[in-house]
Amino acid sequence: MNAHMIKHLVLKDWYFQRRPIAAYTAGGLLGLGVVALGTGWSFYAGTVLLITFMITIGIHLAIVTVVQERTEHTLPFLMTLPISPKEYTAAKVLANLSIFLVPWGLLTGGAALLLSSEGARSGALLPFATVALTYILASYVLVLAVAIVTESQGWTLCAMGVTNLFLQFFLYWVSHMPSIERGMKGRGAVWDPTVLALLGAELAAIAVLLGLAFVFQARKRDFL
Amino acid sequence: MTETAVHLEGVSKKYPHFSLEDIHLQLPAGGILGFIGANGAGKSTTIRILMGLVRADRGTVRLMGEPMPERQDVARRDVGFASEDMRLYGPGTLRWHMEFVRSIYPGWDPSYADLLLRRFDLHAEQKIKGLSHGQRVKASLLLMLARRPRLLVLDEPTTGLDPVARQEVLGELMEVLADERRTIFFSSQNTLDVEQISDQIAFIDRGRIVDRGDKESFLDRWRRMRIDVPPGVVLPSLPGIVATAGSGRLSVITTSSYDPAMAAAYQHAGATVHAVDPMTLEEIFVANVMSRREGKVA
Repeated sequence: MNAHMIKHLVLKDWYFQRRPIAAYTAGGLLGLGVVALGTGWSFYAGTVLLITFMITIGIHLAIVTVVQERTEHTLPFLMTLPISPKEYTAAKVLANLSIFLVPWGLLTGGAALLLSSEGARSGALLPFATVALTYILASYVLVLAVAIVTESQGWTLCAMGVTNLFLQFFLYWVSHMPSIERGMKGRGAVWDPTVLALLGAELAAIAVLLGLAFVFQARKRDFL
Repeated sequence: MTETAVHLEGVSKKYPHFSLEDIHLQLPAGGILGFIGANGAGKSTTIRILMGLVRADRGTVRLMGEPMPERQDVARRDVGFASEDMRLYGPGTLRWHMEFVRSIYPGWDPSYADLLLRRFDLHAEQKIKGLSHGQRVKASLLLMLARRPRLLVLDEPTTGLDPVARQEVLGELMEVLADERRTIFFSSQNTLDVEQISDQIAFIDRGRIVDRGDKESFLDRWRRMRIDVPPGVVLPSLPGIVATAGSGRLSVITTSSYDPAMAAAYQHAGATVHAVDPMTLEEIFVANVMSRREGKVA
């Protein structure tokens, strides 16, 4: 692996995405601010804002940094640099994950702080929120993997639609799991085996999706 | 130095509606190959295979001595590539692109880059999305030339340029040619451009190389003869005739292997040769392709 080339490609994506990502992150922070108002309606409105901006960041990154490399014809510029397809994939994965994880970490950390407060029953919702926000991270990785492998706006949007649709079912399913439901109604964060198993499954899915992206990319015959 | 900069041997690639068939091309270091073909003839596909962007179904490809696409990252260190459909990043300035390329290639020559900025009348602080097509092409060439690659692969670099911009680009390429170690693989459908800078020519049509050789040999071999053929005179069948046209007594004969003895043979048969005209590369290309399509061997 040519770490020097990968570094420059990662920095390139950071450079071009810094402003839109900052704007989306500000939107997510606004969502957290609304949640912090502490009323019933503000909790739901703020949560919707937070989730919407997180999902938007992922869509933006996958479309702009991966799909548009092809549709805007900048891919030939990159692929004629001294880089192998595997290094290109590594650069795209690293750039995307590092860019996404900054606002995701910031917003997830902010949400954790808010949910840990006394007014929010000292973190009763924290395990559920962590599972939900990790689902968004895993969804983003799926969208990214589809974007890298297909380089198609249609397939990427399709993956995004499926993950967003499934989010509602997932949240409903998880929130009605007996142990999680009990935890959400109590006080303090309960990290029981169900929560840990869900988080473990999400992290495993992320690892598998990234691995599959490399496998499919290695089998590609054409890059233009 | 690598002896052969470009080596394609038996290269084939099949698509649903197009096939590249059995491409053989060699370009020694220091050579300038003009790769001529109509739209859809297979020029870009050949170049993409050469650059490792598309994998051939069959055949051997070596770029700067390295097997492709296996060692594409190594081979491309010494190769500059520009194509008509390659774009730079719209939100980035030309200065950002120059810094980006400089950070990758240690051979980046800042003084040459500044010289090219002035010659091409480009402004480094301007964003790429604000540039005209001609300025974008010149910006791409600047980024490629200022790192001083040993091989330039240019896929239709002058397409869509106005005459002034085209001359600026060709002029700069001719400057590059002053360095005899440089090798250029230059595809175009504009034969005038190719004629100006190439020393070798290859014609491609419908996915096949139909002819190749050095430019002077093409220009020497191909002739168009205007002949007066009186009634009752039958012209002898000579080798290398690729087209015969005309009406009444006047015949226009195109040959791919002209020899003064041909004119003598026609005179001897009773015809009168009025003129033996040299042909432009464009005329040679069209006659060559048409004769191949009609099944005549040029």
